[in-house]
Amino acid sequence: MNRMKPSKQTIQLLNRIALISGIVAFILCILIIANYIQVKRIDPLNTPAMTVLLDRLKSNPGDDALRTEIRELDLLSRKAFFTSWWQIRTGGYILLACVLVIVICLKWIELIRPKIPPPPEPVKEDFWDQRKTRQRWIIYTGIFLVAGSLILAWLTYTEIGKTLYRQEIARQGTDSRQATDSLERGPDIELTINQLQRTGGQDSTPVTGTDSESDATQSGTTPGNADLEEQSNGPQQAFPSREEILSNAMTFRGPDANGVVNGKNFPVSWNGTTGTNVRWKTAIPLSGNNSPIVWKNRVFLTGASTTKREVYCIDAGTGKILWQTDVSAIPGTPSTAPKVDRETGLAAPTMTTDGQRTYAIFATGDLVALDMEGKLAWGKNLGLPKNHYGYSSSLIMYRNLLIVQWDQAEGASVKAFDGTTGKLIWNTPRDVKLSWASPILVNTGNRMELILSADPCVVSYDPASGKELWRVDCIYGEVGPSLAYAGGYVFVTNEYARLAAIKLGNPPQIAWESTDYLSDIPSPVASDDYLFLVTSYGVVVCHNAKTGEEYWVKELDNSVYSSPVLVDGLVYLLDKTGIMHIFKAGKVYQPVGEATLGEGSVCTPAFAGGRIFIRGEKNLYCIGN
Amino acid sequence: MKKGIALTILALLFAWQMISTFAIQRFPKPEFESGYITPETLLPSPRAEILEVLDVAVLLLALSVVTWAVLKRRSRNLVFWISVFSLAYFGFYREGCVCSIGAIQNVTMALFNGSYIIPWTVLVFFMAPLLFTLIFGRTFCAGVCPFGALQDLISWQPRTIGPRLNAVLGIIPYIYLGLAVLYAATGTDFIICRYDPFVGIFRLNATFGMFLFAGVLLLSGLFLARPYCRFLCPYGVLLNWVSRFSKYHLTITPSVCIQCRLCEDSCPYEAIEKPVTVKNPDSRKRMVRKFMLIVLLSPFFMLLGGWTGSHIHESLARVNGKVRMAEEILHPKRIAGQSETIEMTAFKASGKPAKELYAEVTGILREFYIGGWILGGFVGLTIGGLLAGRLITRYRTDFEPNRGTCFSCARCVDYCPVKTGTGSIEL
Amino acid sequence: MEEKQKGKQKEKMVDRRTFIRTGVQVSIVVGLGGLTALVARRTGSGEYVWQLDPAKCTQCGRCATSCVKTPSAVKCVHVYAMCGYCDLCGGYFLPETKTLNTGAENQLCPTKAIKRTYIEDPFFEYTIDEELCIGCGKCVKGCGAFGNGSLQLQVRQNLCDNCNECSIARNCPSGAYSRIPAGRPYLLKGFGKEKLDIT
Repeated sequence: MNRMKPSKQTIQLLNRIALISGIVAFILCILIIANYIQVKRIDPLNTPAMTVLLDRLKSNPGDDALRTEIRELDLLSRKAFFTSWWQIRTGGYILLACVLVIVICLKWIELIRPKIPPPPEPVKEDFWDQRKTRQRWIIYTGIFLVAGSLILAWLTYTEIGKTLYRQEIARQGTDSRQATDSLERGPDIELTINQLQRTGGQDSTPVTGTDSESDATQSGTTPGNADLEEQSNGPQQAFPSREEILSNAMTFRGPDANGVVNGKNFPVSWNGTTGTNVRWKTAIPLSGNNSPIVWKNRVFLTGASTTKREVYCIDAGTGKILWQTDVSAIPGTPSTAPKVDRETGLAAPTMTTDGQRTYAIFATGDLVALDMEGKLAWGKNLGLPKNHYGYSSSLIMYRNLLIVQWDQAEGASVKAFDGTTGKLIWNTPRDVKLSWASPILVNTGNRMELILSADPCVVSYDPASGKELWRVDCIYGEVGPSLAYAGGYVFVTNEYARLAAIKLGNPPQIAWESTDYLSDIPSPVASDDYLFLVTSYGVVVCHNAKTGEEYWVKELDNSVYSSPVLVDGLVYLLDKTGIMHIFKAGKVYQPVGEATLGEGSVCTPAFAGGRIFIRGEKNLYCIGN
Repeated sequence: MKKGIALTILALLFAWQMISTFAIQRFPKPEFESGYITPETLLPSPRAEILEVLDVAVLLLALSVVTWAVLKRRSRNLVFWISVFSLAYFGFYREGCVCSIGAIQNVTMALFNGSYIIPWTVLVFFMAPLLFTLIFGRTFCAGVCPFGALQDLISWQPRTIGPRLNAVLGIIPYIYLGLAVLYAATGTDFIICRYDPFVGIFRLNATFGMFLFAGVLLLSGLFLARPYCRFLCPYGVLLNWVSRFSKYHLTITPSVCIQCRLCEDSCPYEAIEKPVTVKNPDSRKRMVRKFMLIVLLSPFFMLLGGWTGSHIHESLARVNGKVRMAEEILHPKRIAGQSETIEMTAFKASGKPAKELYAEVTGILREFYIGGWILGGFVGLTIGGLLAGRLITRYRTDFEPNRGTCFSCARCVDYCPVKTGTGSIEL
Repeated sequence: MEEKQKGKQKEKMVDRRTFIRTGVQVSIVVGLGGLTALVARRTGSGEYVWQLDPAKCTQCGRCATSCVKTPSAVKCVHVYAMCGYCDLCGGYFLPETKTLNTGAENQLCPTKAIKRTYIEDPFFEYTIDEELCIGCGKCVKGCGAFGNGSLQLQVRQNLCDNCNECSIARNCPSGAYSRIPAGRPYLLKGFGKEKLDIT
């Protein structure tokens, strides 16, 4: 009892000490939190100011004042970084010490505080009530747990399990289907063709029917099929009409992919730097060497990086990116991008469309279909193309069939997929070497032919069934240029090989040959009378299309990678620096204009609706009067 | 000349952008003319293994001493000082790592993952406290566990929280234990270590969120004694079960209870069972019937829990990095202009085919599906058991510690006025 | 008589209780023993430590931020035996650096933890000051892309707390972290295996 008095004073003192250290601890806590937030907000080692300065130095390496500025900023930011470390650490120690003081004080108080036995309160006999309350609340908790888990499960449900399950099923399915495919491809094709006829309208039965069933040599076909495209315009037809094909730019190098474009009154002068005749210019996020395609008021193109593949849709009127879809995550896509040549890139093939969907293929072998709103309709990986420069053959549509020239080092083939479902309709193996050319579609007057060029031959296929129609051995090497067609002649060329004109007929024959100037990248273009050939080092040659007579040779200053386009009697030729050379398609070289883009380009321009769409290295330009 | 060649090669490499190739001898090691000697790359060794043995020795020693202090010496002060030592050694010196609570996960992983090798020290850290508890009660909690010691130190004005909150919060440790075992068994994560609030304090280093969690726990620990131990600790669940059947356990009084009620409010953990003097208003027959009902309902609880668990298994599985990866590939978020995640880049760089990942993830999801059933069943059984436990009644006349929840901290002993000479436990 | 019987009944009750108690005790002992036996087959005599495999590492920079320690226990380790002693060091200089000097505007390392010293024409030695190194891996990336890959990230075992669950391992996107025997606690590439032993 006699210890009561001094202990009271001590308790007061201890209480005060505890309070003071409590306040200190609280202030420290706030300071540490503030410091933490500051460091989190601005990482001193990674300030945007520094990046800006470094960028400026890069463009101006001789600036010593800038250099000093960078060094000072660097010193400052490192100091800030290490100081904030030190502050947090020291603050932590002091905080710990404060807490320790509080704990000691409180324990001390507890120790010396006189322990008065608690006054015996009346016994509360709520033992049984408490038990019942506990039971009830345990049950409540149980119910809450069940409900909470279910709600959580519902909120966070993502179908991953189901998707994986479906994937598994799909994989097993494709495995077995591929097995049957290889065994009995013939009947399978017939089946699909019969299906085609059913959807193709009642009138068109005879044509494709005879083609596929018996007539392998194609010597005679049913009369009255002058315009095959017209025929397909049955009421249920989903694919576009010939007019639509001609008025849009749905494929690489024009409607039939041969470089000839319909339409009139395209601009002949513009300037990308000053903006003259440039409707708009839009930066494309990812690079790609594919050309734009145009459907009505929309422009489509693709871009790819080593990690990402994207499809872009741009409003043709305003240049606004309407949507961009990341299609990197196609099942079966390789996890690392293939090694490709920089000049080819990972997105060299041009897209195509049927007005319902757009289709794209990438160097990874990913073939995708997107609807017009950018939603993935289907996507599949065709396997990594065995191609040392990178896959570059563009896509083309025949009715509802998406045709892929799948030339690779081993196991080359040409494939057709159903545009709606992505189902493989036919697959014809090709005994050719690797090529980088794109297919063309030719209306010979009595049938449609799909003509492909690769070492060692030019081969024609029936686009509906994939059956080989004819072949001419005339080409070799690493074939880059695609074919040209006009007036019954198919023109084929490759560097170190030859330029050859194949006259269609039964059998097709080489009409003339030349080896003076040959191309390894740009494709030739032909009118009924003239053939224009451009070499990648920038020489334009004009031949007589029927005889091969050399009319004129014009040397340009720059090299050319993009292909010439023949439109309205004019040839548009874009060189690598972005200068468009426009000249008359005539017996003598007669320039009409020269227009600068202000940006290098290797892509073939697209022509539609009086406007020209040119993809430069970074931007897409819309040229129009 | 050499410089020129090196620069040209470098320039070429820059041009080809050959990133992600690793450790290629592009430049031969030069032959120095100036007599330069290549320095050694220093490889400092990890903590000596003998020190790990020391940890085990300290654990066993501390367990023995604290048991002696609780049961033989019956001295709260001694227990307090031992807990301060444990806090210093296991907490601040060993920084909270190797700990018995976390060892649950190592043991689980050793059971389920054939390739995992568990260090024997960890096994001892898991087993020794359980064995001690089986014989002497939860003396481990009293003075060896650094978490308990830390919270014990700061409990300032502990309050009781009433039966409702006790009932609700009391279920959390069971769920936590179940989740920890599930995640360890699937090799997903060690969540006990991940969400360990006190390790950050021992190391003076943690993420902001964990500091916040620790701060909240410590602040609430001022008024709510040992919040982690009572309402979170998954190891406490095991100790609770084992301690109920302990051979010797702390008693409040060394000989006979004189019903003085001095100890009544001495336990900050509400672990003192008061005498039950009033008769149960319900008849014995009715209680038996209720008990039977709950026993019969338990399978239903388990089924319900399991069904719920199986429904939530995909959400649970998403903690797994591989599952998240597969999800990112299958359901890419189409946000324009946003660059891909580091995980995606790393996955692509690894060259692993997506199919392989899918197969792996399908397996993991199946594991989680089964695990979800078991976890839910376990929680259902727990609820059934807790309900049944509230029905078994023992009419006691003395103040006794609840063997399950008592931490053997010996506070109540200080309040008991009965001090026999030896104060020994009755063997 | 009645009282006696009651007493007997009570005794019986107590007996039953002790019986149950002993039974459960024995089963717990058996259970724990069984568990120990099961797990004991998987115990290793040696300790295990965390280490990252430089071959799997993508230098994402998380080693610097995810470690429970500040600065991280992961440091850049220079394997001198592999170094080409280049003048234009991909691990030291920022890309597109024009003048090869030690100016801050040229350095890749955010904390300037790499020291560049001249040896003889045209060779330079690069040493890492581990006091300053934060384990961000920027230099490792540069060296791996343009040089021999002699700069590699490693957990410095004298700094590592050897957490039960390494928090970097959890956040590592490429799964480069694993537990390895403490007797051979480093996984450097281009380094003789026997040299990595610590005995």
